[in-house]
Amino acid sequence: MEGCHGAGSDPDAIDADSTLALVGCPNVGKSVVFGELAEQYVDVSNYPGTTVDTTLAEFGEYKLTDTPGVYGVSAFNEEERVTREIVLEADAVVNVVDATHLDRDLFLTLQLLDMGIPTVVALNMMDEAEADGIDVDVDALEEALGVPVVPTVAIDGKGFDELRDRIPEATAPEETAIEEYYDELPDELEATRAEKTLLVEGDEPLARKVDVGGVMADGGSPALVEPGLREEIYGQRRKRVQSITGTVEEVTRTEDSIAERVSDLMINPLTGTPIALAMLGLIYYFIGDLVAQRLVDTLEGEVLGVYYIPAVESFISDLLPESGWIEPLEFLLINDNLGLLTVTVQYVIGTLLPLVIAFYLAISVLEDSGVLPRLAVLTDRGLNRIGLNGRAVVPMIVGVGCVTMAVITTRMVGSKRERTISTALLGLAVPCSAQLGVIMGLMAGLGLIYWFGYLGILLVVLGVVGLFLDRTLPGQSESLVTELPRMRAPRPGNILRKTYNRAKMFLREAIPLFGATAVVVSALDYVGGLAAIQNGLRPLTSLVGMPADFGQILVLGLIRRDFAAAGMTDMALSSAQVFIGLVVITLFVPCILAMVMIFKERDAKSALLMWVGSWVTAFSVGGVLAAAFGVLGL
Amino acid sequence: MSEVLADVGSGESVRLVDVPDGDTRARLLRLGFLDGTVECRHHIRKGPVIVRRNGTDLALGADLAAEIAIERPGLEASD
Repeated sequence: MEGCHGAGSDPDAIDADSTLALVGCPNVGKSVVFGELAEQYVDVSNYPGTTVDTTLAEFGEYKLTDTPGVYGVSAFNEEERVTREIVLEADAVVNVVDATHLDRDLFLTLQLLDMGIPTVVALNMMDEAEADGIDVDVDALEEALGVPVVPTVAIDGKGFDELRDRIPEATAPEETAIEEYYDELPDELEATRAEKTLLVEGDEPLARKVDVGGVMADGGSPALVEPGLREEIYGQRRKRVQSITGTVEEVTRTEDSIAERVSDLMINPLTGTPIALAMLGLIYYFIGDLVAQRLVDTLEGEVLGVYYIPAVESFISDLLPESGWIEPLEFLLINDNLGLLTVTVQYVIGTLLPLVIAFYLAISVLEDSGVLPRLAVLTDRGLNRIGLNGRAVVPMIVGVGCVTMAVITTRMVGSKRERTISTALLGLAVPCSAQLGVIMGLMAGLGLIYWFGYLGILLVVLGVVGLFLDRTLPGQSESLVTELPRMRAPRPGNILRKTYNRAKMFLREAIPLFGATAVVVSALDYVGGLAAIQNGLRPLTSLVGMPADFGQILVLGLIRRDFAAAGMTDMALSSAQVFIGLVVITLFVPCILAMVMIFKERDAKSALLMWVGSWVTAFSVGGVLAAAFGVLGL
Repeated sequence: MSEVLADVGSGESVRLVDVPDGDTRARLLRLGFLDGTVECRHHIRKGPVIVRRNGTDLALGADLAAEIAIERPGLEASD
């Protein structure tokens, strides 16, 4: 299957002919099953044209591919579109089913079988089902479905010998109850069972494809069938699910477990808010202090700054001959602003890599434990007001650590509209931890009242910009619809694997981007572009009542936010000027790494709009503050 | 005026009878939340409603909860 290879992966690395896809609902243990089945060469990449990552490995003569967790095969969101695509091209499927949620998961199973996709069911979490008082008759389920069903406990590695043995038996019933609906399709239509099933369910991408083929043209409508048919079919499938669960499952409900009580505490605002704040404090301490300050300072400042950079500089100077024409090249490689071999390496290895790993660790823990959806519930009400829903809480939290990383996590917030709003807010009003550290230091000299003023201004800007975008962007915000998976202790193996895969993919994509950016910025610097920009900024610096050398700070801010804040420590400024300066550089453009990420995750137009919008907001707010301080005579 | 999910308090069991948005309706149907009665686990004031069906918990935002018409299974047959 050609479609599974993303940019940067080698298409020939796995040379199997058949594809085996792992499909299942979210949080059923797919990635653990994947880890058990994968024999060698695990490769993570973005599914082409999307921001969804898929994992590839080898299993026997199969190419094994993971899919994003979905409740059914359709196209309600990006994850579903990716899974749908992979399922349509797969030769066989291992459907991972959560034995504790049979009633929820069998819809997907029956849909796969309706599509005629050769399937083996891995009935996972058998241990939890037993603990919950749920007894599943595996033989009866196998009989009812007509395909192999293998009980597994993925985290203990139980049941995998049998699963491996039975994968070649993957099959689908000759005919299922969906057949009756195929009559709704045009007779002359030539399509596979999978395509027919999706078509009667009103699948738009497929209908469009068929339409182009000239088979069907119904006033330009993308659907081949009556609009209500999808619901009728879903309803019929639900009835089949209920009749199966009615015969194979016996439930003796037990008392609320500890996990459930913890979950209740997290959702209730009264108890949930302090718990969430405590967790945030812990994460902030881990990422913002331990990693961003201590580890990064040591790695970047001492290890790379003291040993690596001087060594590379002297090596390059010795290597390159002294001559006029070689000088520009030497500048590109080792200049002090963003030299390709010096400062760029220092950023990527010294700053970004530790932060990336720390963030992915923290996010994976939150994800694995089931905390994230509960935080979303807790913050939904507040975020609704600025056109977002609870899922946007993650980028906002991560943003206080590192905006570059947060831009990536905006993938989880839902529709394009919500991604745009959250990315814009991140770029504008959320200071990153590196910058915040320096800002806190400077603010300490001014007094607590300035500190609250600073936070107040940021919150007001956040609210106003959010409201403004919510009113002006087309469309409507999506309401929160999210499952609350059972809370459980995070599993270290799972977290390490996720972190490793994500960090690897991040670096593979980020390094070329940052390299290219470094070359461009250095070239601009060499021809005197940066100095010219500084001169051009004079009118703006005087607008906010700052001295001319504030232009130098802004130029630094274009590249890295904390550099700008740090640069201000050496300037002789009044309290009011320090305050205005800090507000301006916080609202000012995101650092160059974050901009590169925004450019990659969104598109050139939104990135440019956000960048220009940051200038406008920073200097309008700064101008108003300067005028206000002027009136007060400070 | 029929009652909506946003009117339901914690601990009550209701049927979701009308979900105006087609895609959301299909998603709820797929998860089994339109099969019969669902239990309202929590209702955060002016915030999301958490409903449960067969051990699956689903959080629905306040705006959505205000659009979903419900029926209380009283004398009529429940599922």
